[in-house]
Amino acid sequence: MTKWLINFSVQFPKTTLALALGVTVLFGWQFPKVRIDTDPKNMLPDTSAVRVYNDEVERQFSLHPDTIVVGVVNERGLLNPESLRRVAEITDRILALPGVITRDVLGLRTVDDVSVNGAELGVRPLLADVPANDAEVAALRKALFANPLMVGRFISTDATTTAVYVPIEATANGKEIADRIREILAAYQGPERFYVAGDPVARDTFGAQMFRQMGVFSPIAGMVMCVVLWLMFRSVTLIAANMGVAMLSIVWAMGALIGGGYTVHIMSSMIPVFLMAISTDTVHIFNEFCFRFAESRDKRTAVVETMQVVGPPVVLSDLTTAAAFVSLATGPIVPVKVFGIFVGVGTLAILLMSFTVVPALLMLMSERRVLALAAAHTGKTGSGDSASGWLLALGRLGVGRSRAVLLVGLGLLVLAAAGMSQIRINNNLVSWFRAGSEIREADRVMNEKLGGTSTGYLVVRGGEPDFVKRPETLRWIEALQRDLESDPLVGKTVSVADVVKRINRVLHGDQAQFDTIPDSAEIVAQQLFVFTMAVKPRDLDSLVDYPFQAANIMLQFKSWDADVMRRAIARAEAFARAHPLPGLPAATAAQAGAPIKPAGIANFNLVWNDEVLWGMLSGFISSLVLVLVLLVFEYRSLRWGVVSFVPLLFTVALIYGAVGLVGKDFDMPISVLSTLSLGMAIDFAIHFVSRFRARMAEAGTFRRVGDAPPELVADALLWTAGRPGRGIMRNAVLFAAGFFVMLFASLTPYITVGAFMAAIMILSSLATLLFLPALVTVFGRWLPQGPRRSAEQPLQN
Amino acid sequence: MKTQLTFFWPLLFAASLPGQAPTADEIAGKSQQAFSYAGQDMVARVVMTLVTARGEQRVRDLTLLRRNADAGRQKYFLYFHSPADVRGTAFLVGKEPGRDADRWLFIPAINLVQRIAARDAESSFVGSDFSYEDVSGRPLPADSRKLLREESLNGRACYVVESVPKTRASFTRKLAWIDRANFLPLKEEYFDAQQALFRVFTADEVRDADGLPTVTRRTMKNVKSGHRTEVVFKQVKYNAGLGEDVFTERALRRPPAPWISGD
Repeated sequence: MTKWLINFSVQFPKTTLALALGVTVLFGWQFPKVRIDTDPKNMLPDTSAVRVYNDEVERQFSLHPDTIVVGVVNERGLLNPESLRRVAEITDRILALPGVITRDVLGLRTVDDVSVNGAELGVRPLLADVPANDAEVAALRKALFANPLMVGRFISTDATTTAVYVPIEATANGKEIADRIREILAAYQGPERFYVAGDPVARDTFGAQMFRQMGVFSPIAGMVMCVVLWLMFRSVTLIAANMGVAMLSIVWAMGALIGGGYTVHIMSSMIPVFLMAISTDTVHIFNEFCFRFAESRDKRTAVVETMQVVGPPVVLSDLTTAAAFVSLATGPIVPVKVFGIFVGVGTLAILLMSFTVVPALLMLMSERRVLALAAAHTGKTGSGDSASGWLLALGRLGVGRSRAVLLVGLGLLVLAAAGMSQIRINNNLVSWFRAGSEIREADRVMNEKLGGTSTGYLVVRGGEPDFVKRPETLRWIEALQRDLESDPLVGKTVSVADVVKRINRVLHGDQAQFDTIPDSAEIVAQQLFVFTMAVKPRDLDSLVDYPFQAANIMLQFKSWDADVMRRAIARAEAFARAHPLPGLPAATAAQAGAPIKPAGIANFNLVWNDEVLWGMLSGFISSLVLVLVLLVFEYRSLRWGVVSFVPLLFTVALIYGAVGLVGKDFDMPISVLSTLSLGMAIDFAIHFVSRFRARMAEAGTFRRVGDAPPELVADALLWTAGRPGRGIMRNAVLFAAGFFVMLFASLTPYITVGAFMAAIMILSSLATLLFLPALVTVFGRWLPQGPRRSAEQPLQN
Repeated sequence: MKTQLTFFWPLLFAASLPGQAPTADEIAGKSQQAFSYAGQDMVARVVMTLVTARGEQRVRDLTLLRRNADAGRQKYFLYFHSPADVRGTAFLVGKEPGRDADRWLFIPAINLVQRIAARDAESSFVGSDFSYEDVSGRPLPADSRKLLREESLNGRACYVVESVPKTRASFTRKLAWIDRANFLPLKEEYFDAQQALFRVFTADEVRDADGLPTVTRRTMKNVKSGHRTEVVFKQVKYNAGLGEDVFTERALRRPPAPWISGD
């Protein structure tokens, strides 16, 4: 099949290219149908347990998943007529924005304050009317700080900061609404500073920036790779061939994705960069072609021979790469599946083009250019050539000091294991933005001043109607809140217990000794009833469900770390174990995690990040197994399979060890990196082992590698390090260069990806060129020479 | 539109004769009279059902007493029979045109009568989708109005009146379909700050009680949240002869027989 393809392409290069372009146009035709989805929540299907439960809690308590927090700070004190007028005006204008859930916007202007003024119970938003003079401001200040439900949520303790909590429709785009809010804020020039924070802002800004940066950095990465290719081969045709393969495969894969009706999501937006990286595999073909042409001086012979020797490792490495990515589809996460499948599709396209488009392009190169190319190449590959010399030195080190090299490797692995034990799994969406960026700054200030911008819920489920009205239930909730608040990152908690205490106090002439839960359920019921007769219903509906069966504790966190929510859940569960909720029906108590169930955006982030992360990891592990099986099958040797596996394992271990040692959070972007390293690192080992074994087969027939004369083995190893090794180094450098530009991105996951990719490439190529010679030298007696592949594909030199 | 001719209130026929189309303000005035001020006083047993978007319900069973005084003043007395744990809670409202109503609450569990100040335009009526204004009527001078058109709604000839508030309100625009024959509002649409429809009132059943057309079933639905409140008036009696003594703090603590039996 491959032979037929190569012959056809060499015979009819123009037809081949025309066919390839024709197919590309067909795939490209799908592009206008593209649908983009920037919501990371859609990583999990609508039907996933956490989404279903979250939706249920939100409906049960009339909550909204997405809330933008607008902060107004006046360091000289916010409580003055001018600043308050601005807060009122800004709130009114936000209320009119489309996409905002007007009825549930919370702020000084909209939230009812329940207070007692002489004999009269007052129910009104504190900023219903803007205070006109100092006396009115003083009254407002007094009322504000007298109400614990206000402090930390709507006013900072130092009275410099207020916040307006703006829930938005599920279908609305957080970044667009945030931009509209910023437009409103821009009209106010005063001593106040304004901040726009919250999950939807961070999320949708991230989504938007991600696409933009993909749009910017994909071409830049491509250009850098062109430059590196030029430095390597000094041939425009080769650059065109390499980049052409990348571009065509991208069009094929993305066209198939879009045509298949899938949305382009955060994950799938990375497909082009991945394919660009994978397509660098064709460098092995160019590398060998230069050697061959220098030897035979006949273009056609050089192409055919090149494909004969490089073909098998290219097939194997592309197949393992494709298999590795496609096996991601076994996981539960839809965008990861889509990503895996279509990177697999693109990889197969690259494989097909390696046997068609690449040979055809090589055939179409003018003789003059080919001669120039070969001359340049032979000039550089002379014995004095620094690159080859360096590679040979590396190979000699591996062969000559094999045991020492392996011992050092083992030592590094031990160190890496120590590092890996230090790994902290965490995710923080806001930290995906660079320090000092607007979003991080807004988040930092708001978290410093107020209760926090991240919200989680802990739902206490009583299991029977009116359970929540019982004084013992309310006291239990109150005690749990105090326990939760002992975590410094839990800035504020609010529950129905706070409301009950507040109303009890207010109905008793604002006497401090009534700032307690009343002693009978009847009093609680009637006081709450009175509360609902006075305030907006949502003020209670968000805290207790209709049958008074479940209560919602709202937690404000000062950090977007998924870990904070994890800790809060653990703390609540420990509390519930130590202090069983009184009167809980046995059926409810028997349920898992009873009586507390977490929800809210903080919990959602915790769960989906975990699921994506573990989904990636489990996909990664199944890929590893699949690749190992493929290698063993292809080499018909378990031992060779394991040996080929060593550089990959070493690279992954070292990278993860470094993550642990440096103290960087192991988050979703890093788990995505695992798959990248898998796709690439194994390719180098495949090229090395395949070419080495072919070389040995040429030299003679031995049962084991160790049966051959040591000099012969050493020579073959050095040849492999110097010649296919050069392809490996070129591939690695090219790849690393492409990703290096991502260090200049403004989103930290890209910077992480860029930095780690370069590291992975350099590490895995070094590991291949150093450890494989060492391993073969030390364990040669143990490695079979294997079936003579060369018998099927006789080499002509 | 022949069906409308079969209707029963000959007194009001005059209003539907062509050539005498009243102004929007006149329509609103007559509508408020028919809807909120009918009779000298009223006694009704009311079942109010609050329904969430997911279908959960809270049912309040209450007795409603109303008495008109001079110059648009009114007094309301509400006594809650259920839910069981709030039984005996009572509510007294003194409506004063032009300013927020005076309200007193009685909380039996702590034997407390408490005066409450809240804003009629935005406060929910006992946790429902109705505001106090929806129940007792928004002051007529608070809005400017326009008669948009006349059209038939469910077979009834209606005036369609648009109101835009001049003072603070929970809405920015309201469309009301007012029955030409009896001036009861059959449907109202409320628009919010985003100029989007957010609440819809419908009169689901109109009956004659003591000779006065009365909305005996009504629904206010918040179309944005999906929450709605259904109100059924049972045993409506007009001109029962309620005295001023029914609307006192003493009555709050001790429900006034025979109007409220306490069951």
